[in-house]
Amino acid sequence: MVVSGNSSTFQRVLWPTIAWLVGLLFFFPIFWMVFTSFKTDADAVKPEFLFFFTPTLENYTNMTENYDYWRFAINSVITASFATLFALVVGVPCAYAMAFNPTKRTKDVLVWMLSTKMLPAAAVLYPMTFLTKNFLDIFDTHFLVILVLCLINLPIVIWMLFTYFKEIPKEIIEASKMDGVTIWGEIKDILLPLAWGGLASTALLCFIFCWNEAYWTVRLTTTEAATLSKLIEGNRAPEGLFFGRLSAVSTAAVGPIVVLGWFCQKQLVKGLTFGAVK
Amino acid sequence: MFSKLLTRSLQAPAVLLLLVWMLVPLGMTLYFSFIRYVLNSLRKPEWTVPQLSNWRGFGNYEYVLYKSKDFWFAVQNSLFIVGSILVITVLLGLAIAVLVNRSFPGRGIVRVLLISPFFVMPAVNAVLWINMILDPVLGLNGLAVEGINHLVAGLKDFPLLGHFFSLWPELEPVSFRATQTSAYAVIMMVSWQWTPFAVLIFMTSLQSEDQQQKEAAVLDGASAWTQFLYLTVPHLARPIAIVVMIQSIFHLSLYAEIEIVSRGNGNKNLPYLIGEFASNNIGAASATGIFAVILANIVAIFLLRMIGKNLVD
Repeated sequence: MVVSGNSSTFQRVLWPTIAWLVGLLFFFPIFWMVFTSFKTDADAVKPEFLFFFTPTLENYTNMTENYDYWRFAINSVITASFATLFALVVGVPCAYAMAFNPTKRTKDVLVWMLSTKMLPAAAVLYPMTFLTKNFLDIFDTHFLVILVLCLINLPIVIWMLFTYFKEIPKEIIEASKMDGVTIWGEIKDILLPLAWGGLASTALLCFIFCWNEAYWTVRLTTTEAATLSKLIEGNRAPEGLFFGRLSAVSTAAVGPIVVLGWFCQKQLVKGLTFGAVK
Repeated sequence: MFSKLLTRSLQAPAVLLLLVWMLVPLGMTLYFSFIRYVLNSLRKPEWTVPQLSNWRGFGNYEYVLYKSKDFWFAVQNSLFIVGSILVITVLLGLAIAVLVNRSFPGRGIVRVLLISPFFVMPAVNAVLWINMILDPVLGLNGLAVEGINHLVAGLKDFPLLGHFFSLWPELEPVSFRATQTSAYAVIMMVSWQWTPFAVLIFMTSLQSEDQQQKEAAVLDGASAWTQFLYLTVPHLARPIAIVVMIQSIFHLSLYAEIEIVSRGNGNKNLPYLIGEFASNNIGAASATGIFAVILANIVAIFLLRMIGKNLVD
């Protein structure tokens, strides 16, 4: 593709082999985690069973018993879903107005929104704990986790939506205005169907970020609203005792998200570089 | 097009939410950084309540800068970790992006394999690496070293080669739980997770490279390496800058990996130091927090300039 002309053995055989080896190498830790999850805890640390062992599903069937997995998983699903939903509900009208009726300050507002992302979380952790524990009394609730996840992802959501909306020709929106369509009708009947793909990938990416978030979800919860990040963080050092069961619960925690990620790898570039790389 | 009022009211919820989210906690941090405020104090119970009469001026800042020995180490370590990750991910990312940019059988699958680490949650990443891969006894690190030692011991019995292998020293697996080595462990696992991000962005950018220019270069007899150096690298200058900036922002606030890998072993960065202070001395934690904000902003200004410039009207 890049180099035209005669293709040597190097290009035909060696190049793909190296590419495959690099790909497999990068995937290896994930493979190893999944592989280990089918070993018993005892087998997982015995060198003689490194590659050959009797596979077992007991780590998965005992996941509830060992880690109370489903409680954390359900919390993760609830908080990530609602945070994504709220981020879209707040973000769509905002990005819509910015894309179709930009003012002189739109650019500054967008840049300012992004700058809120750059505030180091650790710097404001104590005030957040203080406020939510002592004043608002919402520490360790789903509401708080949803709110925080929504807020930390809102700038990225607005930026992504903004870049997608800008690709829609303005004339379509203007024509609908001539026909006297109301603003909500405009968003619902014209904008959303046109921007469906962009909307879906924004939602997917936002969901992934919420799911993987490990600072606020760990610090602002104890038991009630604790997510999978908190569960894994709490079992950080098994000292070789529970490699099997820990692999199983880790696989269950990242599996769905890695698969979701495969579907939106292209959108990731847009979302994370704020449209600055094409 | 439509009225100013409507435009404003559509944007208002998002703007207000972000404004409150930014100003309230940051304002409190700023306030706490100027007062004496500790969580437990038998000697001075009045310090356990945040109030203006505990005003300390820049005392907390002075304490953090001059009296706590960890601050400069944490800043240094933060920069060391971020810098190492940046160098590794950009170089590896460039090499892999060029490697995968050609078409070859199974390219789609290789891409999927390559991008996967990016979606692993940081907590799992850290637990997986430090236990199952890097553990000096039970992890693959320990097993591999043991395997090599075993192999060498076997080779020592060979007639001629044995002399050579008997000089071979017995290898010791590196433990990644000490202060310095655990920083390396963090660098390794974060680089594993973020190299895919660099690859993805460089690959996207490579696809928009001017092919005609390249063909002209081939006709002029430019070697593949010259082409890479004088055509591809300049073309990638902007994506490289963006990868560097975005990663700096993410990694300056790295926390989960440090917490899991090196809790209590002395390897700390700025966010971790804030967490340590926050277990009692909120004043010092807040002052350190303000320093972290300043550090992040220095990086952020460059990024915002670059992205802001790109906004087409």
